Formats: sequence, C-alpha cells, structure tokens
Amino acid sequence: MTNESPEEESRAPGGGAGVGMGAARRGRADDNVTILTSSMDFPRASRSRADSANDAAPSFTSSVELSSSSLETSIQTRIFKIIVIGDSNVGKTCLTFRFTGGSFPDKTEATIGVDFREKAVEIEGETIKVQVWDTAGQERFRKSMVEHYYRNVHAVVFVYDVTNMASYRNLQTWIEECNGHRVSASVPRVLVGNKCDLVDQIQVPSNMALKFADAHNMLLFETSAKDPKESQNVDSIFMSLACRLKAQKSLLYRDVEREEGKVRLSQETETKSSCPC
Amino acid sequence: MDEEYDVIVLGTGLTECILSGIMSVNGKKVLHMDRNPYYGGESSSITPLEELYKRFNLQDSPPESMGRGRDWNVDLIPKFLMANGQLVKMLLYTEVTRYLDFKVVEGSFVYKGGKIYKVPSTETEALASNLMGMFEKRRFRKFLVFVANFDENDPKTFEGVDPKATTMRDVYKKFDLGQDVIDFTGHALALYRTDDYLDVPCLETINRIKLYSESLARYGKSPYLYPLYGLGELPQGFARLSAIYGGTYMLNKPVEEIVMEGGKVVGVKSEGEVARCKQLICDPSYISDRVRKVGQVIRVICILSHPIKNTNDANSCQIIIPQNQVNRNSDIYVCMISYAHNVAAQGKYIAIVSTTVETSEPETEIEPALELLEPIDQKFVAISDLYEPTDDGTESQVFASRSYDATTHFETTCNDIKDIYKRMTGTDFDFENMKRKQNDVFGEDEQ
Repeated sequence: MTNESPEEESRAPGGGAGVGMGAARRGRADDNVTILTSSMDFPRASRSRADSANDAAPSFTSSVELSSSSLETSIQTRIFKIIVIGDSNVGKTCLTFRFTGGSFPDKTEATIGVDFREKAVEIEGETIKVQVWDTAGQERFRKSMVEHYYRNVHAVVFVYDVTNMASYRNLQTWIEECNGHRVSASVPRVLVGNKCDLVDQIQVPSNMALKFADAHNMLLFETSAKDPKESQNVDSIFMSLACRLKAQKSLLYRDVEREEGKVRLSQETETKSSCPC
Repeated sequence: MDEEYDVIVLGTGLTECILSGIMSVNGKKVLHMDRNPYYGGESSSITPLEELYKRFNLQDSPPESMGRGRDWNVDLIPKFLMANGQLVKMLLYTEVTRYLDFKVVEGSFVYKGGKIYKVPSTETEALASNLMGMFEKRRFRKFLVFVANFDENDPKTFEGVDPKATTMRDVYKKFDLGQDVIDFTGHALALYRTDDYLDVPCLETINRIKLYSESLARYGKSPYLYPLYGLGELPQGFARLSAIYGGTYMLNKPVEEIVMEGGKVVGVKSEGEVARCKQLICDPSYISDRVRKVGQVIRVICILSHPIKNTNDANSCQIIIPQNQVNRNSDIYVCMISYAHNVAAQGKYIAIVSTTVETSEPETEIEPALELLEPIDQKFVAISDLYEPTDDGTESQVFASRSYDATTHFETTCNDIKDIYKRMTGTDFDFENMKRKQNDVFGEDEQ
C-alpha cells in the first residue's frame, strides 16, 4: 500500500439501504435460532446500540433480538466471502477499495481499520453481495494470519506486486498456507499482479506469471488499482469470481440451509444497493 | 519490532487476545507476540489430529478410523459460553460475532446415584423430572420463583432474606429444600464446584442461578453455547479485532527476556531485539517468577464413536457429577461436543472430563466420569498446574493473567479480564469500552 491513492471515483448510487432489522435469516427447523442486534448498515447500527447501552445491561439485552424459528420465506441475498492474500505492500487493500468504489484513505501505511468491504452486484437477475475480507495486516509477519480468516471462504485472490519479485516468489508459500487451512480445492482462485502502471519497474514478466497461474489452475489478471485506465480490470476480477460462484449451484445461502441448530449472535450489515454492472 | 509500544502482550490465549482487542480499540499501540506458531496458547483447538497425538507423546499416529486429521479441532480446555454471560456480551459489543458461528449445547445433565438425569430446563420438565419427589418439586418451584423475582435493588423482593447477610444454607432452609435439591441447585444451576458457598451470603448464588435461568431462557435446551470449529476461534476473533485497530501480530516469536528498569517493565527482548513498552500483559507461562501455583486440574480428552448413554443421543452436552455423589470436595465435569461442531471427523464425539485435583492419583478421581463414557476410542490425559499472579502490576506494570480454571464456562475468565483492565487503566471496566470506535466495514454507499 505505498503511495497509491486512486482519485475519488463517482460512487454507486446509494440506493435504498436494505434494512436487515433483525430479520430472520433462516427458515428451518425450530432449533435454528437467530440473535440479531437490530442492525442495518454499520454507522446507524452503532448509534442505535450506543443509545440503548446508555441505560445499562438490561436494555442492551433488549437491543439483541432473538428471533427464533421465524420462517422468513423471502429470498435472501447470497453473500460471497472472498479473501485477498499476499505479501504486505502489494496493494491488497487498495484493490478492494477500488472494487467497492470507496475513496482511498490518506494512510499510506499498512492496513488499519478495515474488516471487510462489500458490494452488491447483480448477475443474471440475482443480487449477490460480494464481501471482500482484508488481512487486517496480520500477514505482515509470516504465518500470523488467523486461521479462521480462511473459514467459509468462497474464493481466494492471490496478489503480488509486479515490481517486486519477492512478492511473486512468496506466492507459493501463500498457496501452501491457504491449502494448509483446508480451503477446498474447489474454491476458485485468481492471481493478480498489481501495480502494472509502473511499467519501467516491472520485475515479474507476464509470461512467467501466466505459467505459474496455469500450473495452479488460476486466472491471471494484471491491474493497477491506482491507474483508472487499468482499474476496470479490478472490477472484472471480482465480477468473474462472482459469476463463477453464482454458477456453483451447491453454494448455499449464508446462514440459511447450513447446519441445523446454529445460533448466530450477530449484527448483520445489510447494505444493499443497485449495482451499475 | 524496534519500536515503542503502549502495550506488549505475550501469549495469544483468550484473556490476552480480549485485552489486546480492548487496548487496540482504545487507541493503544499494541504489539502481540506468541512463542507458538499458532494462536490460542492453552485456549487453542488443536488441529490436525496428528498434532494432538504428538502433543501427548503418543507413539502411534491416529488410526484410519479417526478419519481425516484436518477435520479435527480439539480443545485443550473444555468450556462452554453461558448464553447470557459476560463473554457473549463481550462478543456482541466488539462485534467479534461477525467471525463466529455458535450452536446451542443440546442438554445439561446431572449425576445422581450412578445414573444421569437431565437438568430440567422448563417447568414442565421440572415437574416430570425424576430428580425430585412431588412435594419437593412444589417447594423447588417456589424457590425458583423467588430467585426469578429477586432484585438486589428492590428490598420488596427479598422476602425476609438479606442478600448480604443471609447464608445460602439458610435460604435453602427457608424453602425447606432437601439435600438432593440443594446439591442439584448449587452444582448444576449455580455451577459451584464445591460446597463452600453454603455458608457465605446468598447474593452471589442467587445471581448465579439467575444467570443460569436467563441463559437457558435464551434458546431452551441448555444455557450453553459452543462455537463451530472449536474454542480456538474465540482468541482468533479478538486477535483480528486487535489487528484491525492497528495491533501488530507476531507468531512463532521466542521471548528471551522481559526487560525491567527500576522495578518497572520497559520492554521485551526477542531474537536479540528489544521492543519497548509501558505496560505488559502475559499469560503465566511467560513470567514464572511473578506467579504462584494454586492448584492442579486434570483434564482427560476422550474420543468416542458414540453419543453418551442416556443423553437422548445428544451431539453435545454437559454432565455434572456433584462432589457429594462421589465423596469429593469438588465436582467432576464432562463437556461433550462432536462432528456437528466441526471439531471431529464424521460420527466422532469428543468428551472432556475435568476436575480439580484432590489426591496424588488424579486419574482414579475421574473414574466415575469415564465409566459414563465407555467405550473410549482414545484418551489423552493432561494434568496442569494453575497459576495466579503474585504481583498486581501497580509498580511493575506487568499484568499476568490467571490460568484457565476447572469451571466449564468463561465467567471467571471474564472476571480476570475486567480485573486486569482495572489495574491497567485505573478505571472500572465497562463493556462500552470494548465497542469498535470507527467504521471498519465498507460498502459502496458509504463515506
């Protein structure tokens, strides 16, 4: 995340933020129980919680909705969890910022303050929420990623910096780490060479990366999250993944149809919007 | 590494990770290290199964019947979360719930006269239970109504009981409860491990019973929750929280020395470098000269291919063996979970027996529990020392956590966290302090 700060991009129209308001997210047997804090998008949710918490514990409890066995039949938005991994400074966070169209913060240091970014995309009439998870900087020292970062992952994006050979060489270790954490071989993976706008500094030739990608059954994208001309590639990375994921019929609605008896103590973020793609 | 931090945390057990998260969220610069190559320390879930065999120095590797090693996540310390307890509150306030999924533990059982009985979870169950006689049930019901209505701020609800003076023994007498019901109430509801509570003022006990019934009311079945993939997910969730708020993580990092100057901590030396800090949090294993041994716990991990008998084939449960039933001073606990929680291969169950060690032959002490579990495919026995800090950190600014005790929930762990927080900051712990201070989930509509 060096000095890449993509200029402001016109934001997607902030169309009707879908409100999750403790809506039941599953409709199964009666041992499926959901606790949801009254939740919508995060800033509002945190405000509502702050209000309720002022009068101490009991009302906190009351801000937690227990909706047991409600048979919500309306169609749920499918959520795809995509993780981005690779060495520090290859531009992982920048990539995800570009995808979700947010403005890039002025920080040029390592990632602070991003849990995940999400964007609703429409594919063949279905609205799918793509959730791109950030490493939270835990990759800075090798092997310090939390194992559960890799849980319930639907797709993996490996990123290297085309101007940094070491970041490319380390991909092998990242792939091993990913496999070591039980990410199934059927989970789609793509390879992204970032910072391709820095033409005169390129250390990793495209054909070499292409061979590597082929050998690991991955698609290769070269992008620049910084350069607007190249940045459309960023969209195609995530869209191509989303399309592949949508095609996988086996992919379950998050929270629905999973195992029985699961309880969710969660505050769901529900920021739906119309997607221009 | 060669930097100055507000707080350095050593060890990634649950206590350390929660404190690390709180500190980072509150803007402290935190460096968090662990000598192990994995998160969680004592509170990790061991995976793959081969790793567990190695850890317990078993000669053989797991037999084929155990399935894929990677399907296992075996806790070293058995605990459940009280659905209405402090840890759940911490998870909600920090929104670490985003990263975790939970299931309700299917049943809670209590041992009486060699058999196990379901701890009644509803009034109907209580009336149908074989645990008590008819008259006893009526008196017990009256007692439960008293507890439910009891409000320590409203003397009208006291019914002549002084919460700060009346002993629990006298409260039992007042409701004319018999020994069996007393055993059951004190150990299966109030979750006391010994009978020492009988002769102290009743407030604490009443609050514990309230916690139990309020937790139970959340989901029915039992008051306990368990996270999918094992308890090791908990410290990882809080570590991620800390990292999002700027905490630096280093696993596999040997700690050579805690550097003191004039009786106060100034840094930690690792691999020749010194990271400087103002305060230090660590688990007892990092600072053996500032902790003392206060007891021992035996924990026996048992792998089964069948659910425990007489539990209605529950895929998760707790069994409490009250001390009176087996002539001991402290209760024996069995916590069982299974493949349904993504902690074992298909069709396998993990039951962990634990208790406070009272004799020189701890393995003999837990035999009544093992009998309930037979046949056992594989046993792993661990006897661990319990430590508590000898130094409250006022001078040294070194804050050691307590070892995880034999209780089967996280309430004592949370008390330790609150206590350390208070000693570190000089202010009382407030759950509000744990809230995320900024937006860290971004969508295209925002900003």
